[in-house]
Parts: sequence; structure tokens; C-alpha cells
Amino acid sequence: MDEQLRQRLMSLQRIPGPVERPGLLPLGIPAIDKVLGGGLMRGALHEIAAAGEIHLPAAAGFALGLAVCTPSPRLFWITEDMGLAESGAPHGAGIDAFGFAPERLVMVSTAHRRDMLWAMEEAVRCRAVGTVIGEMRAGDIGTVAVRRLSLAAAESGTLALLLRATPPTDASTAATRWIVGTAPSIPEREQSEREIRSRLTAHLVRNRHGPAGSWILEWSDNDERFILATHAQPVAAPAFNRSHRQVA
Amino acid sequence: MLSLWLRRLSTDRIARSHNSAAPLVVTGRRGNAEILVAVDDAAERLGLSPGLALAQARAMHPGIDTMPEDAEADATLLESVADWCLRYTPLVACDAPDGLLLDISGCAHLYGGERELVADLSGRLENAGFGYSLAVAGTIGAAWAAAHYDKPASHACGEERAILESLPLSALRLPTTTVAGLARVGLKRIGDIIDLPRAPLTARFGSDVLRQLDRALGHEHEPLTPRLPVAPYVAEQRFAEPIAREEDVLAITRRLARRLQFALERRGDGARRIELALFRTDGVVRRIAAGTSRPLRDPDDIRELFVERLAALADAFDPGFGFDMARLSVVVAEPCPPEQIGIGGGEDASELCRLVDRLSARLGARRVRRLVAQDSHIPELAEAVLPAQAVNGDAGWDGFRQYREETKLPPRPLRLLARPEPIEAVAEVPDGPPLRFRWRRALHEVIAAEGPERIEGAWWSEHGGPARDYFRVEDKSGLRFWLFRSGLYRDLAQGAGAPTWFLHGTFA
Repeated sequence: MDEQLRQRLMSLQRIPGPVERPGLLPLGIPAIDKVLGGGLMRGALHEIAAAGEIHLPAAAGFALGLAVCTPSPRLFWITEDMGLAESGAPHGAGIDAFGFAPERLVMVSTAHRRDMLWAMEEAVRCRAVGTVIGEMRAGDIGTVAVRRLSLAAAESGTLALLLRATPPTDASTAATRWIVGTAPSIPEREQSEREIRSRLTAHLVRNRHGPAGSWILEWSDNDERFILATHAQPVAAPAFNRSHRQVA
Repeated sequence: MLSLWLRRLSTDRIARSHNSAAPLVVTGRRGNAEILVAVDDAAERLGLSPGLALAQARAMHPGIDTMPEDAEADATLLESVADWCLRYTPLVACDAPDGLLLDISGCAHLYGGERELVADLSGRLENAGFGYSLAVAGTIGAAWAAAHYDKPASHACGEERAILESLPLSALRLPTTTVAGLARVGLKRIGDIIDLPRAPLTARFGSDVLRQLDRALGHEHEPLTPRLPVAPYVAEQRFAEPIAREEDVLAITRRLARRLQFALERRGDGARRIELALFRTDGVVRRIAAGTSRPLRDPDDIRELFVERLAALADAFDPGFGFDMARLSVVVAEPCPPEQIGIGGGEDASELCRLVDRLSARLGARRVRRLVAQDSHIPELAEAVLPAQAVNGDAGWDGFRQYREETKLPPRPLRLLARPEPIEAVAEVPDGPPLRFRWRRALHEVIAAEGPERIEGAWWSEHGGPARDYFRVEDKSGLRFWLFRSGLYRDLAQGAGAPTWFLHGTFA
């Protein structure tokens, strides 16, 4: 009885031990998941660069979409002051529209790049945090910093995303590197007007576990995940009933 | 009660930075004449005293040094001496313009007795080069009188009458008109009025006279308003050898936090705001404060906070020749439930709190933020950004989600600019969405638009602002913006300005 209680207590208490191999985060799109080897590696650093400064919200949306898909909901979003002045601050109602609960978000704004990297590392090290997005403006961070962040992420199993405003010029040492830009919404066939959708192009330019690729993704509000959006207009017209014609 | 009178505060302040052999006087303007406000010892020996006209003083002794008065600098110096007297007792009050009052009841034993405390204070004041006069007595009034009227010494409690009897009436801190009035009827010493019948004295000169007398004799209690609020939990440590290294400071912080832990546990409290005061040997006091997101008791957690604070201070943390005393006080305490170890979500929440505390301690509490939904339909006011340490719970977003469901709110942008930026737009008058617009010198061709969504300004106030029609637009390359037109065309007839277009945010 006493042994039973002890067992029960042990199972309730989380004895800290080595982290089980952090899982993979499937995006729900078979084409991309295959290329990534099952899904995006949690417990690693991924770089998401915007195709240009004006495409930063699209890249931020991509990062936020990944955060929504993680099981642990806490998100730390670390920005630099200049970034907030240029592109504006993350807006709670907009984040809520993406399906992420704003009360689970903690934002950190820093004055210097080194503070941003320090805060990102601290947040990545914490096991209770699910995803960390570190947003930085133009410029490069050294390979040492990337290595530190990757190691910290591997230890704690957090998904670390480095969001850059401009495409980087150096070679990448992160697990994956994406370049994300906006994509125009294509009208549905039935509607004559365009309906605006959150559509973006994602180029996977570096992938440690597989080939590169490019896709056009759309954020689906209903399913709260990304779906692959190819041209919505079919190439050929649908078949219609020719029953009045005699088959020769 | 200890009363400290820094007799030569102004001249000592000047003498610290300005070395001169000539007698120094401080002058100020009163009415139309320049008169002496303060003199130093040498000048006093020459016969100069405050109140003398400068011209006369110069005539008597042409070789004197004069400086203009600076009351603010004097006040700042007085405050820094007050800060430094905090090492003796937390109850220190400034007695403007050049004195301090310390309540040392109960503190003297830390120095081995009242006499040793007085000797320590006197020694430090002399080393710093201050001219002073100091007295200890049972009440504030008696101590003040003794310090200012040439009876500097330690007097035991109960001897107030003996101290005061022979002193003139101005020793009671009465206004000069009252003192002059009393002098006209022949009452010059305190001893003269102690035994007089009280009613006629009050009727003739007001209640002040007797109130000051009662307070000085101890019949009535005079409270001391300390300069800084007294913390509920304090632990301090003095060092035989001054410490200067950061690791030593952190080690001592942990030790003091451990002492505080016992006191906090006994009352079931936890610390929300902690202040570490480090007293340097040369008199400067360094205060470092840290806040937490939940009540804290564990000494290691408290030490962690200060690791980050000291890292943030970096160069500003200047130990000088070392610190000879450290005091850790809990400035704000809150009830704290007993620790629960290891069950489920508790550990996650506390790890998160620790992370938030560390980030706040290093970067500043205002840089670590959470969003709190506000009850406003105006987008830039719809949410408040508050320090993470101050926000608990769901922060109003459940209410927002409900509102969004009920009103079928159109989608909001992912990034909102702090201030809407004006753009040049070409649009169909009066209600149409823009066809083209120029933002930050780039031209955007609009191919799709959703809206308008009308958001009225605060129509109930004069400064409400015009109504805004918001449009969600997409341009040729797929960039999506949230634009609005401020003002309506139909108001042009009523004299309002032409409507202008702004860009407020961007969508993913």
C-alpha cells in the first residue's frame, strides 16, 4: 500500500532527467514533411528570413503558424527596438486571429543585438517555454551565436526560430533555413472578386536532413494550420453532361 | 533621539571642491541687498556672521572669498549624508536646511552602545570634513535644542528639563515673532515659562508655545517622519574588511536572504520587491532593487535576481574602496502560499516566473511585457502592453474572443504601427477603397480590398477624432495592409478638413 503510494507519487512528480529525443513538428503537409524527414525538428534552431524588409509580416506569420502547431503553447517573442519602430509591434487581436492565444505570449524588447541574443538563449534554455521567436533586423550574427542557440535548444527541446528581416548572406549552420515572402491571393473560380487570404511563399534553401524546396502555403483559420495552396483554378474545364450526344 | 546639526553645510560643500586659504563666505540676495548667508570658521573668527551686508563685510576684510548660495546643492548634500546615516537606523529624517534627526532607540546596541555609535558617527563626519554639532536626548525637541545651543553631549532620558531650563526660548523652534513677543513681557529663557500657568500663555501667544514645550519635555509625543519608508523585513551585515568583488556581494546577498527567509516563513509572506543597499567606506550608498512576478522566499532565487541586476549595472557598479556594510530589505511583501514541490503544472509555472524575473532583472521590467485586452474599439487602444511581472491570469482575452465571435469582427493585422502613418492614396470618392497608394516612398497597386469597416472615434469627447473607414487591401505582389480613411467626405460641407488616408498595420 505504502509502495503503491510511493509509486503514485513518483509518477506524479516529474523527476528531471535527460530529455527524451525532442519530437518532430509535422506541418500537416505531406510534401513538406517528407522533405523535412517527418517534420520540423523541435530542439533545434531554424532560420526564417523575410525576402525583403517589407515581407517581414509574412515571415512573422509563418513563424507564428509554426508556434501554433507546437503542443506546448508558451511563446516568447524577442524583438529589437528598431524592429518595433519600423514594422510595428505584434498586435494581440491579430495574433488571436491566427489562432494563438495572446495571453500565452510574452514579448521582450531589447535595445542591443547582444541583449536580444542573450534573452533568446535564456528563453530557449527554459523547459517550460514551447517556442522562442527572436526577431532581428539586417545584419549577421556569428556562427558562435548560432551554435550556442542550437545547443541550448537541443538541451531543452524548445523550438527556436530566428526571424530575420533581410535574407542572410552567409552560409547557414542552423537546422533549416527558410526564405518567406508574400504571395498574391488567387481568386476562386466561382467568385469574380478576389478574396484576400493569408498566402505566402516559403523557400526552403537549406535543410540538414533532406533536399530543398519551394511551396506556396496558405494559413487556414478553420484548421489552424498551413495548407498547400496551388493555383485554385483548374486547368481544364470540368466535364459537363453530353448525354444528348450519341456515342458513335 | 539624535540631532545632528551640520553647522557649516554650505561652506563645507564648497570647500570640498574649492580649496582656498582665505576665509569663505556664502552670499545671497535678500530684498535688494547682498548679505552673508553662511560663513566658515575662519570668517567667524574674523567677526563675520550671517545677516551682515556683503559690502560691509568686504569693507571690514577685503581678503575674503565669496561664493553665491546654492540651496539645491546643499539639499542634495544633506540627502546624501542622510542616506549614509541609514547605516545606523532606518528612521532618518531631514531637518531642513542643515540638520538631521535620527531615532536610534533600539539601534545603539548594534554598535556596542550609544557612546560608540556617537563616536563612530562623529569620526566619519570629521573624516569627511564636516563641521558639526551633535546631541542625543530623550526627545527630538531636547536633542535639537542641545545640538543647536552649545550643549552637544549625550544626555540620558529624563534629563530634558535639565537640558532645556537654561536655554533661550528660540531653542524651542518657535517663530521669531512669538519669541519677540515673549521677550517683550520679560520671558527669555525656557526655565521662565516651564512653571507658568498654561491658560493665559496659550491665550496670549497661541498653542504653539506650549505644544513645543510639551514635546520637548516628553509630555507629548512628537513623531519623526522618516525620509524613506521603513521596510517590513531587513537583514544587514557589517564587514571587518571591506568587500569589493561581485562574487562576494552575491554570496553575502544569499546569506542575508537566508536570514530573511526565516522571518518571511514565520509570517507566511514572500517578497515581491527586494532592495540591496551597499554602503561604501567613503560614504556613498548604492541601492539596487529587483522585482519579482510572484512572492519569493528561496535564497537561491533571490540571489539569481541579483546576479542579473549586477550584470545589467556592469560599469555603474563601482565599489570604490569597498563596501563595509550590506543591508537586504524586503520593501514589498505579499502573502505566499507554502511551497508545493513537484506536482504537475506548478513546476512549469514557477520556471516560467523565474525566467520572466531573470529577463526583467537584466533588461528592466518594462521591456518584458504581456498584452492585456482593453475595452475599446479603437485599435491602438484595444490592448495595453504591461510588464509581465504585473500581469496574472488570462488578461481579458476570453472576453475579447467572445466579443469577436458575437460581432464577427473582421480580421485584425498581425503588426500594428505605434502611430498610423499618413499615405498618399487615390480612391473612389466618397466611399471607395484606395486604388493606388504611396507608402514610405514605394508605390503599391491595389488589386483586392475588403471593407469598409467603420470605427468611430471617441464621439463622446471633444478630442475624439474623426470616424475611420478601415480597408484590408492586397497589392500586386501579395503584400497586405490595413489602411483607413480618416474623416468623411460628407463632412466637408460642414467645414471639416478633407479626409486623409493612413496605414495602420500589416497582415501576414
